[in-house]
Amino acid sequence: MPTRSISWVSKSLAVTRKDIVSEFRTRYAINAIVMFALVTLTVISFSVGLLSPSKEILSALFWVILFFASMSGLAQAFIKEEETGTAMILRLSCEGSIVFFGKMLFNFLLLLTLSILVVPLFIVFLKVVPTDWTLFTGAVLMGLIGLSGATTIIAAIVSKASVQGALFTVLSFPVLLPLLVAVIEITTVSFTGGTYADASAPLQLLVAYDVIMITLSSMLFDFVWRL
Amino acid sequence: MNMWWKIIIFLGMSAVIVSAFLTASPMRAANSLGPADVYRIFYFHVPQAWVASLAFVLSMIYSIRFLKTRNMEYDTKALTANKLGVMFAIVAMVTGSIFAKMTWGEFWNWSEIREVSVFILLLIYGGYFALRSAIADPDTRANLSAVISIIFAVAALFLIFVLPRIYSVFSQHPSDSIIDKSGQITMGPTVRMIFFSSLIMFTALFFWIYNLSIRVARLTANKLLENK
Repeated sequence: MPTRSISWVSKSLAVTRKDIVSEFRTRYAINAIVMFALVTLTVISFSVGLLSPSKEILSALFWVILFFASMSGLAQAFIKEEETGTAMILRLSCEGSIVFFGKMLFNFLLLLTLSILVVPLFIVFLKVVPTDWTLFTGAVLMGLIGLSGATTIIAAIVSKASVQGALFTVLSFPVLLPLLVAVIEITTVSFTGGTYADASAPLQLLVAYDVIMITLSSMLFDFVWRL
Repeated sequence: MNMWWKIIIFLGMSAVIVSAFLTASPMRAANSLGPADVYRIFYFHVPQAWVASLAFVLSMIYSIRFLKTRNMEYDTKALTANKLGVMFAIVAMVTGSIFAKMTWGEFWNWSEIREVSVFILLLIYGGYFALRSAIADPDTRANLSAVISIIFAVAALFLIFVLPRIYSVFSQHPSDSIIDKSGQITMGPTVRMIFFSSLIMFTALFFWIYNLSIRVARLTANKLLENK
């Protein structure tokens, strides 16, 4: 049993590594995501930066940037496999759950890279510094886990359909809405310097959401992956 | 059998509509926001919202069944339930907006979680139908739309049940208008009678339309087969 679970983890990591290598060769997803985030950030800075928006609004805008940027690139994980015809080989070489967690980890790392770039720029451009860095980092990490967990299966679904880009956003938004509500709430608390008690309800919601969505997606993934 | 359904629903619905407008308003004038007569919409708005959520749950059940059995019949049922769900959700949204305008002063309020959640429900249906129209192969379509409707259902559970509990300030909807905190029905006998008849009639109406739509869908499918 231990050897089996070890090989399961290493196989998932191999899928992630494969995606990272191919991402470094083409830089398709990361370019799209980062440029999209920069454009959105610039638009927001130009339009509301001069109006000195409140911290509540800024925390919502921060997640609007991350949400739309991730919508522009996350679907690529599966669309590329289908387009280049490598999906079939991946299907033959390992189980669905391995592919799911491998791709999810890849999407998570993609979003992590994105937020490492976006967070400093956001702080500099919009002049807002989190008073509670632990809470802020926690919110971002948990939010990214939820984002990648819920959208990986949607990316797999969308890769089988036409009009993929638009469909991905349309399908993701209702699924991600509870996550966005919770994470915006926590980010607001971290900006305004509230206590942990203020953030405890949305934190519980966020943890529950992440766990439930990842479990559900991994259970349903085989139905999408092996048609 | 089918004739009886029609007659019962026709008579029942008529009785509900007539008695909703002829009896005293369900709300005492002293407690009401705006004119007390406005509250008669309660007899229709709540059953419509109930049927919309019933359709949503039904389509999730059939989606799970489809994934278990791969029987295309269940796909048709889930699709039909969703189509009717859209209809009732729109009707519930419109009556809810009218009700909100007359009592709270605005047609739409983004901080009102139930209004937002019916809107999200419509977005969910929109996503479901967009996905269906984007896939050409019937088997793939049935499979993927079943998966997405299960994911949507779980997200909707968060929106409808978890969020309002956490953010109590979000909702102006009374939580004790039908059942109070101790589980007792809070309505007077007349109001209770009309409300539950309306609830039953709307549910019957839903199942009647549902049944008809399923039969139409089956006929269409058979005809297509014969044309081949």
